[in-house]
Amino acid sequence: MLEILIHGAVSSAIYAMLAVGFTLIFGVARILNLAHGSFYALGAYGAYFFTAQLKLPLLPAALLAIALVALFGVVVERVLVRPMRRSQLAVLMITLAVALVVEQVLFLTFGSEYRNVPAFVETKFTIGGVDVGGQRLLALGVSVTLIALLWIFIQRTRLGSAILAVSQDPEAANYMGIPSDRIFSIVMGLSAALAAAAGVLAGPFLTVQPTMWLLPIVKAFAIVIVGGLGSIPGSILAALMLGYAETIVGYLISTSWTEIVSVLATLLMLVFRPAGIFGKRAAF
Amino acid sequence: MFGKRIDFAGALGFIAFMAALPLIFGGNYLIGVLTVSVIYGIWAVSWDFMSGLTGRENFGHSLFIGVGAYTAGFLNTTFGFSGWWSLPAAMVMAMVFALVIGVPTLRLKGPYFALAMLSGAVIMQRLMLIFWEQTGGEEGINGIEPLIRSQLGFYYFALAALVLVTALLLALARSHWGLILRAVRGDEATCQAAGINVTFYKIASLMISAAFAGAGGAIYAHYQLQVSPQLFAIVTSITIITMVYVGGMASIYGPVGGAILLVLLTELLRNFGEWRLMIYSCTLILILFFLPNGLIAPTWRRMKSMLAGRE
Repeated sequence: MLEILIHGAVSSAIYAMLAVGFTLIFGVARILNLAHGSFYALGAYGAYFFTAQLKLPLLPAALLAIALVALFGVVVERVLVRPMRRSQLAVLMITLAVALVVEQVLFLTFGSEYRNVPAFVETKFTIGGVDVGGQRLLALGVSVTLIALLWIFIQRTRLGSAILAVSQDPEAANYMGIPSDRIFSIVMGLSAALAAAAGVLAGPFLTVQPTMWLLPIVKAFAIVIVGGLGSIPGSILAALMLGYAETIVGYLISTSWTEIVSVLATLLMLVFRPAGIFGKRAAF
Repeated sequence: MFGKRIDFAGALGFIAFMAALPLIFGGNYLIGVLTVSVIYGIWAVSWDFMSGLTGRENFGHSLFIGVGAYTAGFLNTTFGFSGWWSLPAAMVMAMVFALVIGVPTLRLKGPYFALAMLSGAVIMQRLMLIFWEQTGGEEGINGIEPLIRSQLGFYYFALAALVLVTALLLALARSHWGLILRAVRGDEATCQAAGINVTFYKIASLMISAAFAGAGGAIYAHYQLQVSPQLFAIVTSITIITMVYVGGMASIYGPVGGAILLVLLTELLRNFGEWRLMIYSCTLILILFFLPNGLIAPTWRRMKSMLAGRE
């Protein structure tokens, strides 16, 4: 029972980090970023590359990886997405193409075998008779902190209110002197950094290989549908629901069935409440 | 008037060219490549019918292809159905999947359909691996009987299927039905206001598209004599989408040319095996930026107007 509680919390936290970034860039810039999973993969590979190949210590390597992925996100938005923003289809196509290029680059440079990302914490902790890897607890703690910081940043700072304003009405925000293009870049960077942080933190206990971007994007999509496209509290709640639902199904039935949970949740949600739990915009 | 005659002559010329190629050059290798290119042609045309006309991009066409191929393979190896029976069964099965995904997602505005198709294909591929006892896992299903034993015969059958599918979808796209689909692409709200049941048309055209993708999948299964979960991969869908973009979206005939051109080109690039997908993705990005109308359909239109002008 306690085992389900702890492991469910860890996977919920990772999902939340992925889904919050995904929903943020959609909510603010209306960009559905299919390359979001690639940021996660690049974060994990970056941590691997800087520690194993360049022999950097782990913390600077992790921060460097996250910073570079954020920069990559900004570049993708600037160069590839911005000229295409008029058509949502073109944005989807271009981000999917970017995701595939990233997968191929990872495959060609690192090969298809699994890579080991070193863990920050190697020790195992025993909580109430349950063994939990320290890295998992760290992932849980850091992601809760990061999401809380993001929330405070958006609610309490000037830049945060500018982001909120653009998400509500980019045109009106422009008239008020808010440079919405620059806001898009900043949000893309933030969202990429969050995904990369998830990759760095989850890398040690998940498989790191070139196709690792695919399932996270599917999960992020399911979470965002359930929580409501563009709603951050919605996606946090939905991440908790999906994380726990998967863990419970994994323990009670079999881990094979966990993949079905997200699909079922997505389909049911789209049939009965397409706007999601907290979605404000009607989907019809 | 002239335009139609030139179109017809162009189509006949193309069919004659494709039919003559293996006779002139011969060799089983070329026939194999051509057969694969023709099957990709069927997939690209079926994608274009739904997504090109309505503008609802389908990122999981591989779902229908895989479902068709697995249905055909399963019926053939487990129940001994011949290819002629598994082909329609594959079409029906793909249509059922189209209905299940289309009903919840296509009545909505927004990107739900594109994402649901992408997820659907990813999850189906996972399921094929997870339930390996039933599906054969990574190996897939082996020992499927060929539809037609002679290689050349099979090629002509696939070519005939491509011509049939293309003609059918072209006729549909140029009919009242196609007009509605194009209108949906332009402005859905206006269509609804005009009393058109937009959702019905979208779901029905997805089912038509899925049926032919499934048929193509079944033909592919009976050609390769095995199916593997790789068929469901995103790579399959993105390859098809690239072919449609190269051919010219919403032209129906363009994607056929795009498919054949790209399959033949990748055969030339075989030495770059590992780079293949990379080349596809980069081609797609370049086309999106520099040739948003594609390559083949606009070229044909220009040629046509030149010919018509001279007469």
